[in-house]
Amino acid sequence: MNTEKLALTTNSSARKPASAGGASNALAADLTRALGPRKVLSNLSERLNYRYDAIQFGATPLAVVLPESTEDVVAAVRAARAAGVPIVGRGAASGLSGGAAPLEPGLVISFTRMTRLTIHQGRREATAQAGVVTLAVTEAARPHGLIYPPDPASFRTSTIGGNLAENAGGPMCFKYGVSGDYVRALEFVDEAGEVHRLTRDVFDLAGLLIGSEGTLGLITEATLRLIPPPRFTRTLMAHFPEVGACAEAVSRAIAAGAVPSKLEFMDRACTNAVEDYLHLGLPRDAEAVLLVDTDGEDLETVQDELRLVEDACVASGGTVRRAATEDEGAQLWRARRSVSPALGRIRPQRMNEDIVVPRSALPDVVREIRALGDASPFPVVQFGHIGDGNLHPNILFDPRREDAHAVHDLAHRIALVAIRHGGVLSGEHGIGSMKRDFMRDAVDPETLAALRGVKRALDPHGALNPGKILPAEEVMVDG
Amino acid sequence: MNNEIPVQALGGQGEVMAHAVDACVHCGFCLPACPTYALLGDEMDSPRGRIVLMKEVLEGGLPLADAAPHLDRCLGCQACVTACPSGVPYGELITAFRGWSEPQRQRSALDRSKRWAILKALPAPRLFSVAARVGQFAKPLAPVLPAALRGPLDLLPETVPAMQPSPKVTPARGVQRGRVAFLVGCAQQALAPNFNAATLRVLARNGIEVVIPDGQGCCGAAALHTGARDEALKLVRANLDAFHPDDFDAILSNAAGCGAGLKEYPMVLHGEPDEARAKAFAAKVMDISEYLNTLLQNGELEPPVPASRPLTVAYHDACHLAHAQGVRAAPRALLRAIPGVRVLEVPEGDLCCGSAGTYNLEQPALAGQLGERKAKNILSTTPDLIASGNIGCHTQIQSHVRRQGSPTLVLHTIEILDRAYRGEL
Repeated sequence: MNTEKLALTTNSSARKPASAGGASNALAADLTRALGPRKVLSNLSERLNYRYDAIQFGATPLAVVLPESTEDVVAAVRAARAAGVPIVGRGAASGLSGGAAPLEPGLVISFTRMTRLTIHQGRREATAQAGVVTLAVTEAARPHGLIYPPDPASFRTSTIGGNLAENAGGPMCFKYGVSGDYVRALEFVDEAGEVHRLTRDVFDLAGLLIGSEGTLGLITEATLRLIPPPRFTRTLMAHFPEVGACAEAVSRAIAAGAVPSKLEFMDRACTNAVEDYLHLGLPRDAEAVLLVDTDGEDLETVQDELRLVEDACVASGGTVRRAATEDEGAQLWRARRSVSPALGRIRPQRMNEDIVVPRSALPDVVREIRALGDASPFPVVQFGHIGDGNLHPNILFDPRREDAHAVHDLAHRIALVAIRHGGVLSGEHGIGSMKRDFMRDAVDPETLAALRGVKRALDPHGALNPGKILPAEEVMVDG
Repeated sequence: MNNEIPVQALGGQGEVMAHAVDACVHCGFCLPACPTYALLGDEMDSPRGRIVLMKEVLEGGLPLADAAPHLDRCLGCQACVTACPSGVPYGELITAFRGWSEPQRQRSALDRSKRWAILKALPAPRLFSVAARVGQFAKPLAPVLPAALRGPLDLLPETVPAMQPSPKVTPARGVQRGRVAFLVGCAQQALAPNFNAATLRVLARNGIEVVIPDGQGCCGAAALHTGARDEALKLVRANLDAFHPDDFDAILSNAAGCGAGLKEYPMVLHGEPDEARAKAFAAKVMDISEYLNTLLQNGELEPPVPASRPLTVAYHDACHLAHAQGVRAAPRALLRAIPGVRVLEVPEGDLCCGSAGTYNLEQPALAGQLGERKAKNILSTTPDLIASGNIGCHTQIQSHVRRQGSPTLVLHTIEILDRAYRGEL
């Protein structure tokens, strides 16, 4: 079984290290000398817990560092380099593509203790260390009359560093953009342990680091743009007897000129999984549910826009319910945020896609994926930021009873649907190790060669998060 | 989470544990809910991390001694259960795991005797009362004592009240509306006898006959949650013999920890002959606030006398009420039913106060940090009174509120209702 296939199961043969416990290796001993024992984890019980993200288990690291400053990161990188072992950066490890799961034993740098955060009201900026929890930025900014819009579903857990490494989005991305759109400046540590501070002018090297999944450098701090919150927000929920009709309603609403702040959908299986968790009274029988926010400075415009969406939903055969109160709206959004982990109620494991397709192709794409799912032995569910054409088809399976190869094949066919309709492999979760294989279908050989060139320029020894993004054989040649 | 836990070899409790591990998708939504993660910021001291550690120990890939320090730091508050979209029964996992692992633990003589003393004294109110009195005399020595002994002394109230035995039957006042059985609890009889007295008065006033069945004892939660499974099973079976669910409309507890313990009986006896009895029993168990709230919702609650002046009450969610039993709305509704009372929400309300059963005795440093944080959060709302539904929280919060230099009183929700009925609010 090759590594991609192993990546689908939580139990890989690389799971357990040969030696147990203690600072039994030179790397851990070096790190402890440089950083002191409080910032270095070397016991097996500690290291075991830094080998997974929210989708995958990888190899047990040789050591884990919990840095408190950029200097600590520099010291850790230099020690790893001296030992000749790979380095994997890690935030809250809520990622969904295997990005933070090490594929081989090495050093994991976990940023959860780098939590310094400063709000600059006048400049409408926040300076956040990599480990600052996403929600904390908005919470700190709000008293200054500002917010930080990127809102991935995991925003209570995930960190700014992880968000930037994956260029995470969220429901707000339709109108307000994704994490990368809010970065004014970045500080990062390169594979040699040098510190760099980047802005977005000259070469947009910051842009290159964003979404690079820790393969080009370790982001240690970011300067983020903040905006004033919209004065008014209105929410509606529509449900449809068929998934394609939901996609049609979205295209129709946008064509009519609506620019909602959020446009999210979930199919029947998702709605039911969430309903089992939250008991909100969601329509269990509907094949698709659409959640929409419109917002702005002027209540009349906000309501006009909501009406445009409402009309489009009705014209596509949907049933519309407006949230009567702010609280009801908040509950509906909590429902949407819980979809991903709530799917664990259906099957213990999932292969998670993150495709983006042109909006005009949405109805065809969701119907084709639905048909692939219906013809397979696995539950296939769909949800996502449908306003952006960003869909998350998930294949749910039980690795003890079901064939991981068949799951991988189905995932491949779903990826091909997206590519055939002019789409891409990742909107916000990254390629990681989960979709690395599909890169050959999505990216032409010349472009892949250019990506390899970039990787070599910034990480000549292939030490940073090896085995991610670029297809396997290229990485094997490199490192 | 995929696993190779040898369920066959582990029996009923193995099924409980493997089911919980299966359900975890390691998404990390539990991290921000976990008090120890909030304090320590590392994965091993988070629910997700602990699930991995328990899985590894059960599979034989990690020595128990390596995992134990992190598992011991878990408060069992179950805030992660509320936060978990995948429905992982973490509380059942950690409880079953502690029961399974305790016989294999190697503990120091001091540790063993401390645990022995706690588990003997807690379920025996008279013994506890004597111990508390002895402790009071020792209180002035606290500064020179080792931390292990200082913790419990710090928690003792200024005065230990006299025991107030509860009558076996408290008749309903006026027309009888219902008949309930009541679990009198252990430590709270010694530390806060008024909790039970107020409970009996409030129920009687609402036309409910209250029976305190003979032969009942400790609910077993303290033993169960510290891994003393054999001890716990004895207590559980004694209560199953003492309470006959068919004879009562409900089996009530006024201590969140005990109520949660009673509701756990089917899990404790999973796969054993008494499981069916435990299910019938647990189906009747309610917290006092849940029961009174059903009266309130049916328009049957005797209207409380209005407070003599506008009063703000900060309501503290006990973890074993809010997270373990899912009881949040009922106590707030009861307090709001008192004219003149305004209920305040506490910042970081979901974060444990650090009491957590025997936690403040076993992990005094972390418990102290959480207690201080809780007291500061509560006092930031500047309440006239603080309400909670659990003796452990009551003791911990009152002690830390005092330490913050505030005279604000912490009362049981039912005490406030009782005061209202008596026109003393």
